[in-house]
Amino acid sequence: MHDLTKFRKSGIGVLSATLLVTTLAGCGSTAQSKNVTLVFATQGLGTEAKATTAAVSAFEKIHPHIHVKIETLSASSNNAYQSLLNDFTSGSTTPDVITSDVIWPATFAAAKWILPLNQFHPKLGAFFPGMVKAGQYQGKLYAMPWFINVEGLYYRTNLVKTPPKTFAQLISDAHKAMAKNPKLMGLAFEGNKYEGAVTVFQDVSGGFGGSFLNAQGKPVLNSPQNIAALTWLNNAIKTGLSPKATTTWEEGNVQQAFLSGSAVFATNWPYLYPLAEASGSAVKGQVGFVPPPVQNGKPTASLGGDSLVINKNTKYPKQSWELIKYLTSASTMTHRALISGDPPARTDAYTSSLLKVAPWFKQEETVYKYATPRPVTPLYPRISAKIQEALSATYSGQLSPTKALDQAQAAVKAIMKNGN
Amino acid sequence: MRTWYGRSGFAALVTLIIVYSLFPFYWVFKSSMESSAALNQPTSSLLPNQWTWTHYQAIFAVANFLRPLLNSMFVAAAATLISVIVGAMAAYGLARMPIWGKTLILGFILLVSFFPQIAMVGPLFLVFRHLHWLNTYQSLIIPYLILAMPITIWILTAFFSQIPIDIEEAAMMDGASIPATILKVFFPIAMPGIFTAAILGFLLSWNDFLFALSFIHSPSMQTVPLALVNFRNAYYVHYGQIYAGVVVASLPIALVVLFLQRRIEAGLTAGSVKG
Amino acid sequence: MATKVASRPTPAPVPSPRRRLSYTTSRIIVGYLLVTPALLILAMISLYPLIYNLVLSTRYDVLTQPGTQHFLGLANYRQILTDVNFWADMLRTGFFMVVSVGLEFVVGLILALVVNQKFKARGLVRASILIPWAIPTAVAALLWRMFFDTRSGFVDFALQALHLPGANLVWFNSPTLAWVPIILSDMWKNTPFIALLLLAGLQTIPQEIYESARIDGANAWQAFRRLTMPLLRPAIMVALIFRTLSALLVFDAVYVLTGGGPGQSTEVVAYYDWYKYLVDLNFGAGAAVAVIITIVALVLAALYVRLLRQRGGFMS
Repeated sequence: MHDLTKFRKSGIGVLSATLLVTTLAGCGSTAQSKNVTLVFATQGLGTEAKATTAAVSAFEKIHPHIHVKIETLSASSNNAYQSLLNDFTSGSTTPDVITSDVIWPATFAAAKWILPLNQFHPKLGAFFPGMVKAGQYQGKLYAMPWFINVEGLYYRTNLVKTPPKTFAQLISDAHKAMAKNPKLMGLAFEGNKYEGAVTVFQDVSGGFGGSFLNAQGKPVLNSPQNIAALTWLNNAIKTGLSPKATTTWEEGNVQQAFLSGSAVFATNWPYLYPLAEASGSAVKGQVGFVPPPVQNGKPTASLGGDSLVINKNTKYPKQSWELIKYLTSASTMTHRALISGDPPARTDAYTSSLLKVAPWFKQEETVYKYATPRPVTPLYPRISAKIQEALSATYSGQLSPTKALDQAQAAVKAIMKNGN
Repeated sequence: MRTWYGRSGFAALVTLIIVYSLFPFYWVFKSSMESSAALNQPTSSLLPNQWTWTHYQAIFAVANFLRPLLNSMFVAAAATLISVIVGAMAAYGLARMPIWGKTLILGFILLVSFFPQIAMVGPLFLVFRHLHWLNTYQSLIIPYLILAMPITIWILTAFFSQIPIDIEEAAMMDGASIPATILKVFFPIAMPGIFTAAILGFLLSWNDFLFALSFIHSPSMQTVPLALVNFRNAYYVHYGQIYAGVVVASLPIALVVLFLQRRIEAGLTAGSVKG
Repeated sequence: MATKVASRPTPAPVPSPRRRLSYTTSRIIVGYLLVTPALLILAMISLYPLIYNLVLSTRYDVLTQPGTQHFLGLANYRQILTDVNFWADMLRTGFFMVVSVGLEFVVGLILALVVNQKFKARGLVRASILIPWAIPTAVAALLWRMFFDTRSGFVDFALQALHLPGANLVWFNSPTLAWVPIILSDMWKNTPFIALLLLAGLQTIPQEIYESARIDGANAWQAFRRLTMPLLRPAIMVALIFRTLSALLVFDAVYVLTGGGPGQSTEVVAYYDWYKYLVDLNFGAGAAVAVIITIVALVLAALYVRLLRQRGGFMS
């Protein structure tokens, strides 16, 4: 379809001739030349949408018989999820290819709504292992990593000489800067009752050596490490390291605080980096992005990002895979990164030309190494809801970290026992 | 009231009431004129620090706010139209025809308007999903009938009962059929009541958030309240746009209320108090 | 009720003169024909979900686990009625009902008494009272979120300007203070409705009785307590029950303002149900909660219908 538009300029005759040929080809049963239309459901507005459209048109040029219709899902993650659920549960054959948040594939796979991708023999060597892990369920790969996202630690290079390696260092670095300029806040983080707070908590929990589920997949939310981590975050609010308002903050608020130059440290995603380095930014040239610090644990950067999955009921699994293969190729990812700033999910996409235009990717790459997926289980949304409640109840002073996590542990245990 | 302090005390009370009702609108208008940077600073003045229309431009150019406005108008108007037609028929039957069980029927209709909307969300979701109706206009119009229709029937039954029956009887004596009498003689007289019912039905449908939140998934199908709550991208909540959107969405409603205040008041109290 | 009407045998829709049905009979038939569509539609949108909920509530039906649906008996109810969160949410809903309706009643009564007076700007005042009522609840909640915003909100600004304590409070991070914006936004939107009902009630009170009371030496307060309040009682009851019922189902304001937080401190029962349905996608459990809410609502509604009937029937 798309390739026809080129001919339109060269006159009706050519157009109708082309139409005739395509129609005839359609009548013949040669599968190769059959025209198909794929529906690609994806999120993203602005430059992200631009990058998607560009990649899709390039793909259509290479595969003239595959037309791709882009269906933009709501920017609200909840709405987008509902929309996909609606398509899946009704057995719809479209959308064929779907952009999935890294935390969804397990749920989709357990419900048998998406295709295992092993049959297409994907080459995964170049991808960040955390991303690949997030797309696997019960030993099979269901989601191809598209772009990576990590909750890392931003700091101001002019206020902090070397980035802190431990949580104690972070506190003392922040206090030193705050002593010089009392208007500064030490650490801005996402503290509202929503998914973002869970990713921050995972960062700190990992740094203290904790995790949400143990190696056997059993919940260990009230482990001493997790309690220490939550206590640390809670103390940050209580001691004034973080402003009280941080308890209602989401990424946008943290972004404002950091970009306006009023925060020494901030947790956030890579998208903030180009904004901080943009001309007119109050912190231009003073930005560092590092893995979160540790205390007896290992650096943990909660993994976000999007992957691509195929609807199990699609009529065109092969063509869908072609699209995914194209979108997840190194050059397409590099191109996307240039347009939208979405960090590629594979190491070989960070070409020298990309790093020249967007030097911050170099520093971001050091954080991707520590990317840690949130628990890959179909019950993750329910587990996360309980963690969100525990964090919010602690930050608002209703429960002690221990009590809040004890309650969350009991609730998650019950959820995992009942299977819902 | 007669003394000067009584009078000025009363005047102060009236002022307070007006401020209480309208000041939140002013504040949201003021905020909608501030830059995003200013919205992230503590407020220092009752007036905007600067006047900028960028948020208004953004909601139409970037966020395509016209679409939810039209969506809301369409679904509310459709639900109102159906409610008024079907409701007027029912009200005519109840007010005019010698049927028994009127009290029961009106009681049932009242009971229906008390039916918890949240309890309808699950079943309607499953039914609409089965019919592939989720994320369509009908998935909103249908539940909105339960918001608009009961009050329509109550208002119109009360209104129709007040219209003297002699006019229709005279027409029928002249040989007009029942439908002709209703359409040609009765409805012209009943128009004010129908209009009142229509305004209220429209406002009640326009008010919905729960059904839209539950049944609408795609940006192009959102209604006004849903679009306003979702003025954000993955990371950033566009407060300025939300406030500009609130102003744009509230202005027509405020004008409607200003001009049609008497009718709305009459409609709201019909049936529930006058009895 | 509806089915009874619907299943009545209905002969020829429009009686032709030749059939010679009696005038009254034809009017009865036309009457039922006119009423039937409305009753059918309302029954379909309300009774059908009610029955569906009853069935669904006995089943295991989780949307993300296709093919696992099965009969559960009363297990969903048992699970919900033993869930401390459910009871906490019920309690909070009850608290919200009492506080918000109580405040709305007091403010509504004042508003009604004021606009019942004759003064110059009366029409303008009546209209400005009514405007908040016409704003969608979710939009009103957005407006009040702005008001209580820690950075650019008016509340902070006013408290700071007046040197009052409470400036720089993070309203939405306090389990008690987070209720303030919810209740205020609910009041702002719904007090006009109460005021209107009370005003209509006030206007039915004849002025003469106040005259004679004054002649008997009663002061304004006594007249208000001994005359106005008793005579206003029916209108008060109607307003209170109407509002109590919608307060039971409060959802929009909580969703927009706090999302039930911080922790679960502003979570109400309608939110609990919505979450079960559309976030957990557990339609069996959601239906069980819905049935419980429906029972509570219908008991309150029945009370309302009874009160109206005691006052001499629906029809004038």
